[in-house]
Amino acid sequence: MGLEIRNLHVRTEDREILRGVNLKVEKGEVHALMGPNGSGKSTLANTIMGNPTYEVTEGQVLLNGEDLTEAEPDERARAGLFLAFQYPATIPGVSVANFLRMAVNAGRDEAIKIKDFGQLMRRNMELLRIDPEFSKRYLNEGFSGGEKKRAEILQLAMLKPQIAVLDETDSGLDIDALRIVSEGVNALQGPDMGTLIITHYTRILGYIRPEFVHIMLEGRIVREGGAELADELEDKGYDFVREQVEASGAA
Amino acid sequence: MRPSFLEASFMEESRRGALEVYEREPVPTWRRSGFWTTTLRKLRLDELEPRHHGFVTSLDELPGVVAQAVDLDEVGGLIVQRGASSVFSYLDPSLAAQGVVLTSLERAVEEHGDLVERWYGRRLSAEEGKFAAATAALWTGGAFVHVPRNVRVEKPLQVVYLIDEPGTAQYARTLAVVGELAECSLREYGLAPDIDGQALHAGAFELFVGAGANVKLAHLQDWGRGEVHDISTKRVEIARDAHCSWVPIHLGGHLTKQTLDIVCAERGSDMRHTGLYFTEGDEHLDLFTTDLHEQGDTTGDTVWKGALTGDSRASYEGLIQIAKGAQNTHTYLQTHSMLLSAKAKADAIPSLIVETDSVSASHGGTVGEIDEDQVFFMMARGIPRAEAVRVLVEGYFEPVVQRLGDESLETLVRERIAAKLVRAEDQVAAYSARR
Ligand SMILES: Nc1ncnc2c1ncn2[C@@H]1O[C@H](COP(=O)(O)OP(=O)(O)OP(=O)(O)O)[C@@H](O)[C@H]1O
Ligand SMILES: [Mg+2]
Repeated sequence: MGLEIRNLHVRTEDREILRGVNLKVEKGEVHALMGPNGSGKSTLANTIMGNPTYEVTEGQVLLNGEDLTEAEPDERARAGLFLAFQYPATIPGVSVANFLRMAVNAGRDEAIKIKDFGQLMRRNMELLRIDPEFSKRYLNEGFSGGEKKRAEILQLAMLKPQIAVLDETDSGLDIDALRIVSEGVNALQGPDMGTLIITHYTRILGYIRPEFVHIMLEGRIVREGGAELADELEDKGYDFVREQVEASGAA
Repeated sequence: MRPSFLEASFMEESRRGALEVYEREPVPTWRRSGFWTTTLRKLRLDELEPRHHGFVTSLDELPGVVAQAVDLDEVGGLIVQRGASSVFSYLDPSLAAQGVVLTSLERAVEEHGDLVERWYGRRLSAEEGKFAAATAALWTGGAFVHVPRNVRVEKPLQVVYLIDEPGTAQYARTLAVVGELAECSLREYGLAPDIDGQALHAGAFELFVGAGANVKLAHLQDWGRGEVHDISTKRVEIARDAHCSWVPIHLGGHLTKQTLDIVCAERGSDMRHTGLYFTEGDEHLDLFTTDLHEQGDTTGDTVWKGALTGDSRASYEGLIQIAKGAQNTHTYLQTHSMLLSAKAKADAIPSLIVETDSVSASHGGTVGEIDEDQVFFMMARGIPRAEAVRVLVEGYFEPVVQRLGDESLETLVRERIAAKLVRAEDQVAAYSARR
């Protein structure tokens, strides 16, 4: 049970960006997706979440066997998908606390009691060592890069999805923040959640150890392996992968 | 004190002169560069007339719109004009004891003739046009507010103009004078239930903020869904080292043409002008504001935000004008309009006339739509599109609403905005989803 991407082709107005992506993330697993700038990682993440900017021309996105390719983003979220954005939007005039409450309630039949919500939020903010005052600020307005990323993980913690896609959550975080956020993700990770970490750096993978590593190049996943693949990549760089792929005639 | 017939004669004379202008001037059409025209072609002015009403002893005897918007426990004083007549008047006795006046202008002419004569029409001449003349010639009832020097009034002093019958012509005149170093909060509301037919509110509002005084002023207009036409001019003059924060809120009206001017008349004066509008259905709103700096060392800050649904039209033109010699003036003006439906049309025109150097003045205007990245972000958290859009529009207005600095009024405005968004929910969601 989990997320399955089948032969996914995606285009924007001017060109094809994903050219047949296959990927499975089961609950309980941690996957890393790596690849050079512009290779299509965020496009994949956004398409999983149903961003209307990207048009799926072929292939499917399934969660627990259910085809969500045509579903609206809010349905996907309520079905159990979560995306921590590389560049989260600012929501002016809406406080972090109010936003979180709306999001939590969106996934429930009956609104959460104010008291229960307050407890849940405080607990998660402590977990991520976020100052309580933070909850009163408008979501992402004037937030530093690191604060935005923490706010994303706070939302993850509040929503407890089945599959979490973290798009470069590590970039913009200093060493301490990276450790705190990684510990937070580890605390949430378990048999009920599968995680796909998109990153350029092995640094975060030192904290959140992936069992599977996928490398994307020009809209396709061209290599897969275990955690050691990330280390190899760090040593040898993407050119090495490119050469390998070209040699095998796959590209 | 002079005998009251003399005061009356001053007003008689003023009315006579104004009537000449009124009869001479044609019904105007306001044209602007581009597609914009405001015309009263469809207003059957001949069929409208002043409607007179008797006094009431409680707000419950008036149409519900008044009690829904005003809580008598929360105001320091209240005067209500229904159609052509003042029908309700209340002033906290402790305020009266300090010399605060809140009464109809008719009574003020009798009882405070000196004050009225000194300030009446000083910033608003009948010569300005047909409707300025109409309010000077034909006003009845009216409102007069006076807060004497050094007096601090905590609770708002409130004026309400109510229209509740089709066929009504309401000529409204408010004069407010706040003495030196005084502090108060004033509100003027224009309210109507959803009447079936035409009506006119022609309004004139003047406020004089004395030296060192501090005034919070709010206007709220919600004429319902009937064909109420509102042609008004509102002017605020701020004296030396005084401060005025003015928040006009436009929540409904078939056709509105308003001129809102705020004048920093002496050095050290400071104004904050924060407006909000929300048009729906086939409403037409035409606003012209001027932030005028007659003297130097003055500061200004104007922010207007609007949103439109349905086929509505809204034009906001905001002028910053800095007079010759008004050096060291710092001011800026920002306006934003948000289109929430395919057929709505908005104009946002900031402009600048600077006749002196050593000033800082900046202005900007945008017409935009809901940000799809924000909608997607919220939907990615499980929030349905319609709710996401509603929350984003509320969030867009929130900084303006908070400038009201008055909890009950803020709540009222939030509720009305939310109600409008619910009414337009399908339309707005469809418009945002189409892209
Ligand atoms: N909305 C869009 N419209 C047009 N082109 C787009 C759009 N989004 C992405 N692209 C293009 O698609 C390609 C893949 O972009 P994407 O953001 O998915 O890359 P990425 O792998 O996440 O890169 P990075 O590591 O820099 O975040 C890029 O060439 C990008 O310019
Ligand atoms: Mg990316």
